[in-house]
Amino acid sequence: MTETVKLAHNETIKTNSRYLRGTLAEGLSEVATGAISDDDQQLIKFHGIYLQDDRDLRAERAKRKLDKAYSFMARLRVPGGVLSAQQYLAMDKLADERGNHTLRLTTRQSIQFHGVIKSNLRPALRQIDSVLLDTIAACGDVNRNVMCTPNEFVSPIYATAEQTARDISHHLLPHSNAWREIFIDGEQVTKEPENEPIYGLTYLPRKFKIAIAVPPQNDTDVFAHDLSYIAIVENNVLVGYNVVVGGGMGATHGDAETYPLVGRIIGFCTVAHAPLVAEAVVTTQRDYGNRSNRRRARLKYTIEDRGLEWFAGEVNNRLATKLEAARPYKFTGNGDRMGWETGVDGRHHLTLFIENGRVADVGTWRLKSALVQIAKSHDVSFIISPNQNLIIARATDAARKDIEATLAEHGVPLRASVLRESAMACVALPTCALALTESERYLPSLITKFDALLVENGLDKQSITVRMTGCPNGCARPYIAEIGMVGRNPGKYNLHLGGAHDGSRVAKMVKEDADEQTILNTLAPLFADYAKNRKKDEYFGDFYLRTEAS
Amino acid sequence: MSKLTTVPHSAPFAPEQIQALNNVIGNVSVVQRAWLSGFLAGLDAAEAKPAVPAAAPAEKPKLTILYATESGNAEALAAQVRQDAAKRGFAPKVLDMGDATLDQLKGAGTILAIVSTWGDGEPPQRAAPFFRAFMSDAAPRLEGVKFAVLALGDSSYAQFCETGKQVDARFAALGAIRAAYRVDLDLDYEAPAKTWISTTLEKLAPKDAGSVIHVDFHKTAATEVASKTSPFAAEIIAHHKLTSERADSETYHVELSLAGSGITYEPGDSLGIVPENDPALVSQIIAKLGVSPDPELTEALTSRYDITTLTAKQVKDYALITKDDALNALADDAAKRSEFLAGRQMIDLLETFPHSIDPEAFTALLRPLAPRYYSIASSQKAVADEAHLTIARVAYETAGRTRKGVASSLVSDRRKTGGLLDVFVKPNQHFRLPKDAAAPIVMIGAGTGVAPYRSFLQEREATGATGKNWLIFGHRHFLYDFLYQLEMQSWLKSGLLSRLDLASSRDQPEKRYVQHVLWEQRDALRNQLAKGATLYLCGDAKHMAHDVDATLQRIFADGKDEAAGQAALDALITAGRYKKDVY
Repeated sequence: MTETVKLAHNETIKTNSRYLRGTLAEGLSEVATGAISDDDQQLIKFHGIYLQDDRDLRAERAKRKLDKAYSFMARLRVPGGVLSAQQYLAMDKLADERGNHTLRLTTRQSIQFHGVIKSNLRPALRQIDSVLLDTIAACGDVNRNVMCTPNEFVSPIYATAEQTARDISHHLLPHSNAWREIFIDGEQVTKEPENEPIYGLTYLPRKFKIAIAVPPQNDTDVFAHDLSYIAIVENNVLVGYNVVVGGGMGATHGDAETYPLVGRIIGFCTVAHAPLVAEAVVTTQRDYGNRSNRRRARLKYTIEDRGLEWFAGEVNNRLATKLEAARPYKFTGNGDRMGWETGVDGRHHLTLFIENGRVADVGTWRLKSALVQIAKSHDVSFIISPNQNLIIARATDAARKDIEATLAEHGVPLRASVLRESAMACVALPTCALALTESERYLPSLITKFDALLVENGLDKQSITVRMTGCPNGCARPYIAEIGMVGRNPGKYNLHLGGAHDGSRVAKMVKEDADEQTILNTLAPLFADYAKNRKKDEYFGDFYLRTEAS
Repeated sequence: MSKLTTVPHSAPFAPEQIQALNNVIGNVSVVQRAWLSGFLAGLDAAEAKPAVPAAAPAEKPKLTILYATESGNAEALAAQVRQDAAKRGFAPKVLDMGDATLDQLKGAGTILAIVSTWGDGEPPQRAAPFFRAFMSDAAPRLEGVKFAVLALGDSSYAQFCETGKQVDARFAALGAIRAAYRVDLDLDYEAPAKTWISTTLEKLAPKDAGSVIHVDFHKTAATEVASKTSPFAAEIIAHHKLTSERADSETYHVELSLAGSGITYEPGDSLGIVPENDPALVSQIIAKLGVSPDPELTEALTSRYDITTLTAKQVKDYALITKDDALNALADDAAKRSEFLAGRQMIDLLETFPHSIDPEAFTALLRPLAPRYYSIASSQKAVADEAHLTIARVAYETAGRTRKGVASSLVSDRRKTGGLLDVFVKPNQHFRLPKDAAAPIVMIGAGTGVAPYRSFLQEREATGATGKNWLIFGHRHFLYDFLYQLEMQSWLKSGLLSRLDLASSRDQPEKRYVQHVLWEQRDALRNQLAKGATLYLCGDAKHMAHDVDATLQRIFADGKDEAAGQAALDALITAGRYKKDVY
């Protein structure tokens, strides 16, 4: 059989890249430009790095004989988001010395550094390497940072899940030594080109995302990823996982062939087998995924095009131990467990609300300084939550008191309104190249307006997931929110309503190109109606779907 | 139209003198002609000289005019002395301290030294190697040599005329005879310099000199191009910022049209701007004087006087005029005075010690408003009758007040496209591209110090010069003040710029400056020098030039002692292969 489909350009780039090297080393030594070549821009993603430019400054540049304000964004690979205090302090220092003085906690439990200019890129990665962290495969056509419901210090169940996340991350880590060679050592140490036993020379057709959730929480949004694991706990022991495949948020405006999908369950595997199942799913996608059209290259479309049954069969063919039948589970919501909780060993863990994951000092709100003081004063761990919040873990009784005092001194409240705590925005402008609209810089003010409407209707204690992204790629998983807003044009968003509170259902697009007033005018009567006519414990997304039909 | 009288070609004058005479005589009235003939006859009669020299004159006495120049003022005065001295019967020889050797002092006869002080009490850059040798034990005894020193300086610096003072003392210490007392001159040096030169030459002049009537009509030459006193009003045809809004400071790119001016310039030359003071500051001063607004005074304070400096002398003079006892006490206490002077300007004096004083008495305190010079950032081979400038807007806070650079704020804030600037060219013979188009150059600069290099690169591009061009450029932030980034990128791409190294001082925890690049790249630098490269340095004089020199010294010492490094550096300067334009 001969196929004459033209491969996507990225496939050629990967093929010629010598396992992700390309001309990155040469590009980094070109000092006159902050950029690298177009092809290298694709390759550097595999190393957890994007080339971006400050879009706020675009207008001024060329007239002033200045190139675009290019800088890099680097993202950690940190499965489950767990950092030691020492690692956190190193990252804070890195943001000050090489970045834009802020840390961005991400929707995949990682930390992003923005504004790292070319001359700082190698020093920044060396600082990351020096505390035993890396950015390998945090982006690119490979498995990205593996998410997991926190936190491993609360109970052995969570610890088991976190260990699975690390095992999968390790199992799917690219073997190429390019990252160390290009950014850390600065010279080629590998004589022979290495092998990629799982990925092969051309890696995956597209990005690949994996998450683990421990019910009843679906904080990692297991239905929104290529591959997910739902922890099954029997007799207080985590025995294995239901395997979910084919979820994915990304879509392209105006392209009907692209759409968000929720994943579906294809069976159950034991804890020990979880990494092998990941390998089987990944290699199936490697072999059958669409390599000619990148918009249709995610696993969800492979499954859409070939059928879930075929896919499950193919995965089982690759497994020595086949998947078992899925087991029962129950999710209640996809938020974090906010505030303090105490683990089985008596240590305390604070899930601290951080709006849109941005750690900074702004005026009297000095979160960044507070976290540094806490990290320096106590034997604690830091865990980035799936909703961009931060868990300060393993605090003793004394530390707990001091942490509260430190946060108060720095003007950092532990909690926010219920609505704000269940809201999430992607980074968008000014750094993200894909952004069509504001998101992180805009959502906080919109939430204030939503809150006012909710207070009017006595709904301020009701949790409703609100998510916004600046483009249809969907980094903040807006399509499964109860209220989702996806950027279209400056100031205008597609409004999606009716997602499930536990993230198990894709919402409907209700308004196209809606500006703020349209969004508020749409929601005001709906909130009023919801306040009056909802059933007991009925979530807003469910209520909308039930009443919208009538 | 009447027939013009002309001096015949056969007259005993050089062709240009004949031309000059024709320019005058051709147009004089009958009355003027009669006066001229009477004047010339009377002159001869009074001095009782024969109209034609009877015999060849005796050997003329030697006069060496030794100058140390930074900005070109001392050089211009040296030329003036030469002219005057030749008139008076000397055999004058002009010697640039940058090219001079100690041996040339012995048997020099009479030495008239014109010495500038640069920055805070330092000799001009190119003169530094000679100066060091002259002050050292290596200097020869100078018995039998006569000398006189004219020192130039700026009284707003503490070490006023320091180099001139040291040279004067050193000549005496070496046994030379002081033929005239040293004079220390400030920014308004021109008139007193002229007086000092003529009286000094008068004193030294051979008594039987003056047998030739010197005709100097060059001032009347018809085609005079723009000068300090008669600048050209150039239109601004492009005016925009080069730095980002996020930069710590603002730098502007300004393109001027010189069309119709006849002005020409070479890469390395500077453009003088005859500035105007900030009208807001002028109003404040007038208000402080307690006089009613007067157009004449406003004009004088705007265009004629320096109102942004404050010298010890001004404090003293103001104290005397105003009979202010407190101020008088301050003026006489060196420590308190310099504490007061630090960062203060005339407006602060008027504000701290308010008195109602007569405008004329006030303007008598002031120094003339000096032109400001900017290295030209373009080559005429590329931009024809335009001149481009790279101007950093100077603004800072001292003594609780925002201070603005006189010319830079004029250009940045008050003149836009379509506006006019009064300009003239100031040649800089000491900052030229190598004659050999194939010779490599290494250009070191920071901030607006990139300006002449843009001119060099345009020139070398236009002329197809094959020499390698290496630029080492320093700035604060790669993203915000990498001046002419896009042009540099395309010159790298075309190969005109063979190498670019950047030093961003504020982009990482440790400060990184051009000297760090030099040190890191010392092997490449030595390699280029071995291939005949000329080194250029342009930008901040206070820190950068000093640090670059120290680093070059360290590189050239090559493991040996400091003196070896300094000797190698001096040799490079003397060979004209290390050129500086620092400010």
